Amino acid sequence: LSPQPVNMAGVGFRRWAQALSKGKGSGISALLSGCRAASGASKDGLPGPYPTTPDEKAAAAKKYNMRVEDYEPYPNNGEGYGDYPKLPDRSQHERDPWYQWDHPDLRRNWGEPMHWNFDMFIRNRVDTSPSPVSWSTMCKQLFGFIGFMLFMFYVGEKIPAYQPVAPKQYPYNNLYLERGGDPEKQPEEVKNYEI
Amino acid sequence: MADYREAPLASRPKTLDPNEYFNLSPNHRRSEEDRAALRANLKRQYQTQLNNPHRKELIEDPALTRWVYARANPYLTFKPTFKTSLMGAMFGVVPLFVLYYVFKTDRDRKEEQIKAGTLERKFSLSS
Repeated sequence: LSPQPVNMAGVGFRRWAQALSKGKGSGISALLSGCRAASGASKDGLPGPYPTTPDEKAAAAKKYNMRVEDYEPYPNNGEGYGDYPKLPDRSQHERDPWYQWDHPDLRRNWGEPMHWNFDMFIRNRVDTSPSPVSWSTMCKQLFGFIGFMLFMFYVGEKIPAYQPVAPKQYPYNNLYLERGGDPEKQPEEVKNYEI
Repeated sequence: MADYREAPLASRPKTLDPNEYFNLSPNHRRSEEDRAALRANLKRQYQTQLNNPHRKELIEDPALTRWVYARANPYLTFKPTFKTSLMGAMFGVVPLFVLYYVFKTDRDRKEEQIKAGTLERKFSLSS
């Protein structure tokens, strides 16, 4: 008793037309189906509003794959964080370079909660790892160099030091003919040298 | 090294971190074990999907989805408080007026100088 082959596209179209004629919606929402597939992520896996009760805190910690003791949301002062966890401000530079991360360039494992400013803390950008020299040394070196260079340029502006120069000397009696002098008249002798 | 102070916003080297040496209570170890258990679970999920020979699609990372959603939709949890209104005003409204005023007065002064013929046109690149 095999069923007759039936054109499923035709069946689907007929059912859609029936639903459209019976449906209550108007406009585009009438044409679209009212149900979604159950595969893929669900809506309650997304960030939500700030958690107030301990139950909500526990649920949020579970959602973000963190321990309830570790989960700490941002303070609820309307700055748009919601229930997103507040992770320590540590850049990806500080993570172990030898561990086998799932994403080695980002030094991150799949499913790990991401810092709010994750795109700032990647290895091309902000680095919070311990500095090689102390802060005071860094400040002294940088500002010392800049200050010294500024001072020297200032001194150079005030006391210029260059090769001695004199006004340019021209031949042919200071270019008498080129300067429109009378060719008949004899120009006065101009001597630009001293022996 | 006892007086080592880290640079502002940087972290302490691990060898100078007191937690490495003094924090050995069972409580601490238990919490470390819990964290490791969570991490191992996520690793297992990822590796299962990664090594599945029948998988054709990309492995979707829900943590990434949540991060993108959170960063793209701050106004769902936005509340106009003193601080947020001040930030909005300082960065959105005040620069408009201040910059307009600054540019206008500078241009007007230059125009006056040009009309009076007192503008000194130097040859330097930084005007």
